[in-house]
Amino acid sequence: MNIPGSGIIKGLAVTARNFLGSYVEKDRLTTEQYPEERPKLPENARSFPFLVFDGEDPEAGMRCVSCKICEKECPPQCIYIVQDRDAAGKAIKRPKVFDIDISVCMSCQICVEVCPFESIRMDQDYELSSFDRFGSLVLGKSRLLKSNTYYRNIHPTEAAETDARLEADRKKKEAAAAAKAAAAEKAAAEKAAKAAVEPEVKA
Amino acid sequence: MTCEFLKACSADPMKFLGEWFVLLPALVLLMAAGAAVVMRNLIHAALCLTLSFIALGIVFIALGAEFVGFVQLLVYVGAVAMVIVFAILLTKPERLTKSVSAFSGLGPAGGAAVGFVVLAALLGFIFTSPLAKKPLPTPASAPVADIGQALMGDYVVALIAIGVLLTAALVGAAVIAMEDKP
Amino acid sequence: MDLLERAPIELKSWFLNLLGSFGVPQGILSVLSAVIIIGTVIGVFLGLFALMSVMERKILARAQNRYGPNRVGFFRWRLFGLFQPVADGIKMITKEDLVPRTSDRAVHFLAPVVMMIPALLVLAILPYGRDMVPAELDAGILYFFAVGAGTEVAVFMAGWASNNKYSVLGAMRAIAQMISYEIPLVMAAIIAAMISGSLSPSAIVAAQGGFAWGFVPQWFVLTPWGFTAGLLFYIAALAESNRSPFDLPEGESELVAGHLTEYSGFKYATFFMAEYIGMFAVCGLLVTLFLGGWQAPLPFLTIIPSWCWFFGKVCFVAFTMVWVRATLPRLRIDHMLAFAWKFLLPMSFAAFLSAACWHYAGRGPLAWLLSLAIVGIPYLILGTAFTNRFAISRRTYQFSE
Repeated sequence: MNIPGSGIIKGLAVTARNFLGSYVEKDRLTTEQYPEERPKLPENARSFPFLVFDGEDPEAGMRCVSCKICEKECPPQCIYIVQDRDAAGKAIKRPKVFDIDISVCMSCQICVEVCPFESIRMDQDYELSSFDRFGSLVLGKSRLLKSNTYYRNIHPTEAAETDARLEADRKKKEAAAAAKAAAAEKAAAEKAAKAAVEPEVKA
Repeated sequence: MTCEFLKACSADPMKFLGEWFVLLPALVLLMAAGAAVVMRNLIHAALCLTLSFIALGIVFIALGAEFVGFVQLLVYVGAVAMVIVFAILLTKPERLTKSVSAFSGLGPAGGAAVGFVVLAALLGFIFTSPLAKKPLPTPASAPVADIGQALMGDYVVALIAIGVLLTAALVGAAVIAMEDKP
Repeated sequence: MDLLERAPIELKSWFLNLLGSFGVPQGILSVLSAVIIIGTVIGVFLGLFALMSVMERKILARAQNRYGPNRVGFFRWRLFGLFQPVADGIKMITKEDLVPRTSDRAVHFLAPVVMMIPALLVLAILPYGRDMVPAELDAGILYFFAVGAGTEVAVFMAGWASNNKYSVLGAMRAIAQMISYEIPLVMAAIIAAMISGSLSPSAIVAAQGGFAWGFVPQWFVLTPWGFTAGLLFYIAALAESNRSPFDLPEGESELVAGHLTEYSGFKYATFFMAEYIGMFAVCGLLVTLFLGGWQAPLPFLTIIPSWCWFFGKVCFVAFTMVWVRATLPRLRIDHMLAFAWKFLLPMSFAAFLSAACWHYAGRGPLAWLLSLAIVGIPYLILGTAFTNRFAISRRTYQFSE
């Protein structure tokens, strides 16, 4: 026979076990103590886009060529680009202004998909709160530019893939250049040989 | 004079407080009871009545009748006041404005006259009763145990009769309330 | 040891003697003595309230495998979040005090005050230790319930003055609940008073003194009738102080916050404080009536001062209340009232009878068995009937099957 009230005792036992257990078994407490303990983000975690640069100098190593494809493709239109011009007023392949309004950005990653220069990538930084509603949430070029080393750190697989592709591109280009140079050399040599022959003919 | 007054106060403040402790709640009692009659807002009137119950309890306690005072608070504030309030809350508003008393045609003067007649009758009975001719007993707080013994000894029949009466009232109320059910 | 036992009393008389030596008149000193006692009692209970407000959250959290509040500390020392009440207090005081435009302003303002008065007044009659009763009343237990009746008025005032349907509904539920549960509460208290032959809390504690066979305390809770009455008192106390699983006057799922809906800021804090102090007072009365008051559980433990035992027991009872809150879901209003009238009330009569039999059968082992039978059999019958009555049946759906 079921003694009335035994259910309450069982329930109390369960809560007591949890109460005491939480002091003994650390595994029970799954809460992360945030500022001291930080979550280990999965590799594919993403927050907002950033710009990748190679080497040490952000301006010199900038991959972005100011093609403005991302600006056009961005669904919420949070990217704003102004192309840089040299002293003579001729457009150069470098952005003068590159702003992303992260209060508008929806982290869709379309900019990353469309970038032909492997220049824009997704960041993992999530501590972006500020005391200011507008200014600090529009990230300028200086805050957006992060080194390729950083990129390799946060997305290792993806970065390796990108690096391999860039390397292959570079090699192909080099090969093409070498072939071209070789062809030019050959042509020059032929020309020289011809020239050497010609005076003889003239003579 | 003020100086003497203060000296008297500081010499035995407890006695001084004790005297005021009877007068003040008595005053509150009168004012609250008056307000309960005069107030237009029914809930305010009920709350004033509750206040007068509380003040009456405190008067009892101040006069040394601890047990009666506590019972007054427990029964009147805890139960009767709440029953009154519930009755007001559960009554439809239109019934509150419509007067249903048989004496409502008399007007304020008639009401006052009825009140005075009742008061005079009460006073007459009180002063002509044999109890009034007895000398006042010395005010001493009776131990609760003695009151209990008296209730269970000499007055046990009365106590049981009241109990039966209240039970009958309770059953009656339940029967009336159950009428709605099919 | 004896010094520690009498420390609070000695400290007070030392202070008063010091003032007396400076020529302060005797009359002022006697008033000052009362003020010191009142101040100490209120101060201790406010401290307990502050501690409880953070400990309750921590205990609930631990029961759910969380940490609970552990941040607020003093500058860079965290102190396990024990400064949380300070932060809560600052928040409550600086919050805007909203009063609805259509509310009854005077009554709306008075309700928290009226709520606070009985909560503080009932603290007067609890025996906090040996010879430590602020007001030694012959009818102390009666005083406790008489003054406690004021709480219902306050709840009604709060609910009605807010001019809000949820407030009125919450207040009506709260009053219905308080009136229903007051009967088993008082019945249970009467049983303890009946056995000790007095309504005075000190006499009831004294009746539970001493040890059987030299080591078993003679607390009422250790007898069958006392255990039943104590449990009934505990359940009714949970309902009286609006605590889970009887917290449905504030059931946020249907009534927003019951009679507290239109209160904010310091007025809300006052209600909150009054509720917790009232809860501690009821725990104190439970300890006094059934758990032996300030008596130590074992003879050699009497070296620990009596007031430590009292507050230790009060804290233990308060802890079990949080434990129950962590365990049981909220009841439905009809279940709750049926539970009061159809289960607790008959059980309190059974406990009453059992206590009487225990007394007249000579308080020996035979009396023990007899009283166990008198409470045990009705419990099994009523409990089974009650669980069958409210057993969860398989739900059938009209359309989806």
